[in-house]
Amino acid sequence: MANFLVWVVWFGAAFACLVSALAVVTFRNPFYSALSLIGNLASLAVLFLLLSGEFVAAGQVLVYGGAVMVMFLFVIAYLGDRSEESPWSGGPSWQILGAVAAGGAVLCEVIVVVGLKAGGFLSKSSHIDRSFGSPASVGKLFLTNHLLAFEITSIVLLVAAVGGVVLGSHARRLESDARA
Amino acid sequence: MRAAAWVCLLLPLASAVAITFAGTKISRRAAGYISTLTTMGSFVAAAVAFFTMLGEDAGARGHVTTSWTWLAAGQYHFGFTLLADQLSVLMMLIVSGVGGLIVAYSVGYMDGEDEERRYFAYMSIFVFSMLLLVESGNLLLLLAGWGMVGLSSYLLIGFHHDRPSAIAAAKKAFVMNAIGDATMALALFLLIQHTGRLDYGGVFAASPHGGAVANLIALGLLGGAVAKSAQIPLHTWLPDAMEGPTPVSALIHAATMVTAGVYLIVRTHPLFENAYVIQDLAAGLGAATLLMAGLIALVQVDIKRVIAYSTMSQIGYMFVGAGLGAYPNAMFHLMTHAFFKALLFLAAGIAIHAVVGEQDIRRLAGIGRLMPFTKLVFLIGSLALVGIPPFAGFFSKDSILAAGLDRGWYGILLTALGLVGAFLTGLYAFRLYFIVFTGEPSAFAREHFHAHHGKEGPLSTRWTVGTLALLSVIGGFLQFAPLWHPLSTWLGPVAEPFAEPTNAQEWAISGAAVAVGLAGIAVAWLFYAAKRAPVPSPVRLFEKKFYWDELYDYLWYYPSDLIARGLYALVEKPLIGGSIAVVTGGASLGARELGRAQTGLVRSYALALAGGLAILTVVFLAAR
Amino acid sequence: MHGPEIQWYVVLSALLFATGALGVMLRRSPLIILLSVEIMLNAANLLLIAFSRLHGHEDGQIFAISVMAVAASEVVVGLGLIVALGRRNVELDVDKLRTLRG
Repeated sequence: MANFLVWVVWFGAAFACLVSALAVVTFRNPFYSALSLIGNLASLAVLFLLLSGEFVAAGQVLVYGGAVMVMFLFVIAYLGDRSEESPWSGGPSWQILGAVAAGGAVLCEVIVVVGLKAGGFLSKSSHIDRSFGSPASVGKLFLTNHLLAFEITSIVLLVAAVGGVVLGSHARRLESDARA
Repeated sequence: MRAAAWVCLLLPLASAVAITFAGTKISRRAAGYISTLTTMGSFVAAAVAFFTMLGEDAGARGHVTTSWTWLAAGQYHFGFTLLADQLSVLMMLIVSGVGGLIVAYSVGYMDGEDEERRYFAYMSIFVFSMLLLVESGNLLLLLAGWGMVGLSSYLLIGFHHDRPSAIAAAKKAFVMNAIGDATMALALFLLIQHTGRLDYGGVFAASPHGGAVANLIALGLLGGAVAKSAQIPLHTWLPDAMEGPTPVSALIHAATMVTAGVYLIVRTHPLFENAYVIQDLAAGLGAATLLMAGLIALVQVDIKRVIAYSTMSQIGYMFVGAGLGAYPNAMFHLMTHAFFKALLFLAAGIAIHAVVGEQDIRRLAGIGRLMPFTKLVFLIGSLALVGIPPFAGFFSKDSILAAGLDRGWYGILLTALGLVGAFLTGLYAFRLYFIVFTGEPSAFAREHFHAHHGKEGPLSTRWTVGTLALLSVIGGFLQFAPLWHPLSTWLGPVAEPFAEPTNAQEWAISGAAVAVGLAGIAVAWLFYAAKRAPVPSPVRLFEKKFYWDELYDYLWYYPSDLIARGLYALVEKPLIGGSIAVVTGGASLGARELGRAQTGLVRSYALALAGGLAILTVVFLAAR
Repeated sequence: MHGPEIQWYVVLSALLFATGALGVMLRRSPLIILLSVEIMLNAANLLLIAFSRLHGHEDGQIFAISVMAVAASEVVVGLGLIVALGRRNVELDVDKLRTLRG
């Protein structure tokens, strides 16, 4: 029973994921695309929960959905309606070739993975305990084994913040020059 | 003794080095003094060597000193060897003595030249090279001196490097001498191959007697001698070499360098005697040259060129002497010729200098009335040249002619040609004298004559010319074959002559030579002094110098030019230029095509990323 | 793990990634391109979490959190650029923005 439920939830989330991803890529209006991405993020969060990544799922919703996407929506709103006339046109003549190549690669990968699993080459899933994926254990790992990654990530965030301020203020200065 | 030889050799080298490194720190005149004093120092050293040698036993007069092994290759060893023997000491005295006088003359003549220091450095290099040539103890070092005198000649002919004609003449001289150098080098290769050595003591004894190899060796050496001494067929450079300053013409192209060919033949006479055909050829070439040069000199209008052709002709006499085996006679004529030919050139130089550098005899006509001293010394030189007793040429030239009588029909033929040449000598020499130094001065001469502070020329020019005139008068008395012959005795151990005319023959020839010489003077007087008969118009053949230059143009220049242009069009441009063009074209084409990837479009870059990623994915999965 | 096996997650991640890649290559607006990049990053995150669950180590989750942080930083800078472009009334079309061509 529990298994069945898991499968149902999985299919639903996966379906929503794929559809919303397609929607992001196909909508002409960027606003709609951004909203579709929020849907995508939410479905991914569900998938994370299925994989016992509670902390990560929460982080996904809060950080991605709550901060990054909000920022996107603000910018899109600021820029106004920038719907493209024909979103798929233009570009170098071999774009189609690229698309086909990408598709082909994906197909290859799918076949290979399925084959691998069928052949038993992918490892058996291990047993985990209840604290797997909990904030406590993730936090402990961050502060012991992966302390360097943690610190560097924080510096990257700092740099990005400074960059954002610089980019924003620079534009403002030029604008005031243009007006004067 | 040995030290004297080294000092004699190295003083001019020290002078050249000193002048070069002192640069503009010394005055121009100081450079002249350094050069003059060192050359005279060399003369003193040569004199010391000579007097020391006089006191030695006749058989033991050869002194060989080797300072270091210059070239060691396998079993061949060639040292930096000097040989001081009777022959080399004679040459040392002539080179440093006459050279010293000429360098002293240059101090006055070249006064005020902008590049005077360079001139004196070159003169010192030349004296050093010539001394190296005559003092060397093996053929390899001789070849080194040979090449270096050629270099000095090139540098000095082209001294006025702003004149294209001077530069062309210098190149011509050098190229023709290079041909001679090449044949000499081939001869040396053969000698090394067949004897394994080049030092005078050993190589003559070990070289093959007769046969093709001996002939080739002698021919190669003859080629070098012919080029250096401006004999047929490598003679065309000498008249052009008159582009150099007059003292250069006197020293290099009259007194010393051009006589190096004669010295070579006398020094290597055993090799020539092993190939008597070649030795006879040498005499024949000398005779042909002396006639041809005499004829050409009859129609020349440039004073220096007349004297240059005269030099060519007189060296022809020396070649006849050496070719006939009369080595001491040839050397004697070399010595007296050095005196009176240098005298003629230097006197002409005084005249040229006084009339704003004019060399055309028609414009210089009659200058003798304004320059009596020059007229006198020129007369002395001309009389010595023609061979009128008691002047020097009489004693030396006639002994060569007499030697021919001892050598069969060929020798008699050569003697006859030599007598014809003596007539021509009288004719052209006095044509020159009568035109330039007698009669009314031409309008040009009168207008442009500049005395030098009231005298005819600078002091150094006058005393050196006077000394040479004195030597031309008394120098001949060194040897008069029928009566006394110290020079032959002196040179005997080194260069044993094998032409021994009798005393009667000597007297007969002397008389005949004087007679034809006077006849030539008389004819010249008829045409040019007394003006009793109209001057015949110049023969075109003589004016064109027997078309030798044109012949060489057709033989060498036009084909070479054609080949060069053909090669340029067929090989250089398509192949070499083409291959470079392929490389550069390929590089730029490649760069251009690769640059097409820089479209500036973000999308194409993203596409490239995606494409690469796809390939990588497939590769990784396949590798698994 | 109960529910779908690992290969399901791998396939899903691959499809998501391909979709994002298509969006990057085929759309002209820089905003949409940025969003597509987000999709690709999320696909990678999904894969990380899935394998972390398979092997029983939480290192994958750590990695995924770092990826999220970096993605956020990159979006900040990207949007800053887009805003700067927008303020100058430059047309937001990557085909037109090609002054850096070589």
